[in-house]
Amino acid sequence: MDLLKWARMKSPWICHFNTGGCNACDIEVVAVLTPRFDVERFGVLLKGSPRHADVLVVTGPVTQQSEARLKRVYEQMAEPKFVLAVGVCTCSGGVFHGCYNARGGVDTVIPVDVYIGGCPPRPSEIIDGVVHVLNKIAGGGLAEKSSVNEGQAVQ
Amino acid sequence: MMDSLAAVLYLILFPGFVFLLVFGLFCEWVDRKVYARLQNRVGPPLFQPFADLIKLLGKEDIIPKNVDSILFQYTPLIAFAAVMTPIIFIPIWSATALFPLQGDLIIALYLLSIPALALFVIGWSSVSLYPLLGGFRAATMLFGYEVPFILACLSCGIIAGSWRISDITAYLEMYPASMLIVIPGFVIALLALEAKLERTPFDIPQAETEIVGGVLTEYSGKKLAVMRLMDDIRMVVGSSLIAAVFLGGFIVSYGSISWAGTDLTNVINFLLYIAKSLMIVFLLAVIRTLFARIRIDQMLDFSWKYLAMGGIFQLFIAVMYIGILHG
Repeated sequence: MDLLKWARMKSPWICHFNTGGCNACDIEVVAVLTPRFDVERFGVLLKGSPRHADVLVVTGPVTQQSEARLKRVYEQMAEPKFVLAVGVCTCSGGVFHGCYNARGGVDTVIPVDVYIGGCPPRPSEIIDGVVHVLNKIAGGGLAEKSSVNEGQAVQ
Repeated sequence: MMDSLAAVLYLILFPGFVFLLVFGLFCEWVDRKVYARLQNRVGPPLFQPFADLIKLLGKEDIIPKNVDSILFQYTPLIAFAAVMTPIIFIPIWSATALFPLQGDLIIALYLLSIPALALFVIGWSSVSLYPLLGGFRAATMLFGYEVPFILACLSCGIIAGSWRISDITAYLEMYPASMLIVIPGFVIALLALEAKLERTPFDIPQAETEIVGGVLTEYSGKKLAVMRLMDDIRMVVGSSLIAAVFLGGFIVSYGSISWAGTDLTNVINFLLYIAKSLMIVFLLAVIRTLFARIRIDQMLDFSWKYLAMGGIFQLFIAVMYIGILHG
């Protein structure tokens, strides 16, 4: 089982999903994948299909339009799966908090493993977040996931 | 009894499954590392393909509700078996392959085109739009690259006067100068192999900016691992085939090399085989770095206007050469 844990730590494939953000976080996520930061050193690959990915990178507040899609994308991923919330809108709703068309952050819809603040976060912070996800894998901390908190949803 | 036991060991261990697994993962690493270095990146570490494989084997294996479950589950295994089989026809440690047959060049070419058909079946059976589009594209591309690849390989067969890969290698060793005649064929076969492997200028069936994950969109876990391994082994077997057919001259079979009383001919030949295959993998990675993806119609235009014409030209040269030599 240790070999499997090692393999999981060495090859976190990510899938990127925008739930209605302003694109700033998306540009930073893309910047992480450029030769300057070169996350393929750590085995990170960007995958098109959620079925191939281990880590779902979510950016943006969850709009009503994207909520059902976000749930489906999460359910399409194979276990073990992790969720990385990138940017302050994704963590809590940010400036869209209380807006008529937005839920208050991603954790109102799906369980989140690691939150990264910032508007937008720097690429180095996103890499740091991925490292936190990897530490969770190393500790076997699959149970520490935040539960879906329906009460936080702002109507 | 001993013969069949040895044959099973050959198939499982040395030029068979275990060797192809290790060499396939190594070649994937070489490919990704060269790709990264050419982009001024550091690139993945040596164990990366192995870690990817183990991780995928340990992940949940989802079979979506609406798929044709038998085709969806067993087509990857058929493709996997088909790409491993040609290695028994390809000379590795001497000029003779493990189990050479009359006309095994044709069998190897057929077996190497089974994965494209398997991808089409997968796309069809996984009742989803993106795999279906990917499968159609894979099947359409088959009509583009298959003809130039076969024409280029067959012109070597015509020069050697045999459609047996071992005979072609032996002929090229006897007359190394004839390798100069098949240089256009080598280039054509290299480009056609790049298309066969669905790599970047021709990665139209897997274009993730258009059709998500292509044919393999619905796959996860073990089946995805088998398909990725199939891709690696297809790259190794394809480059070994090109190495044997076009670069067969770099082999020692007449006379022997020995050092301190030990016969090292087979070792030297094996190292030469590794060097030839790695050189072709390197060239494939360079092609992948240099070009961006083209559209499917541009790919078909390119392969029929230039590659197939080049293949016919190569065939013409081969026939002229034989005519001058024996006429």
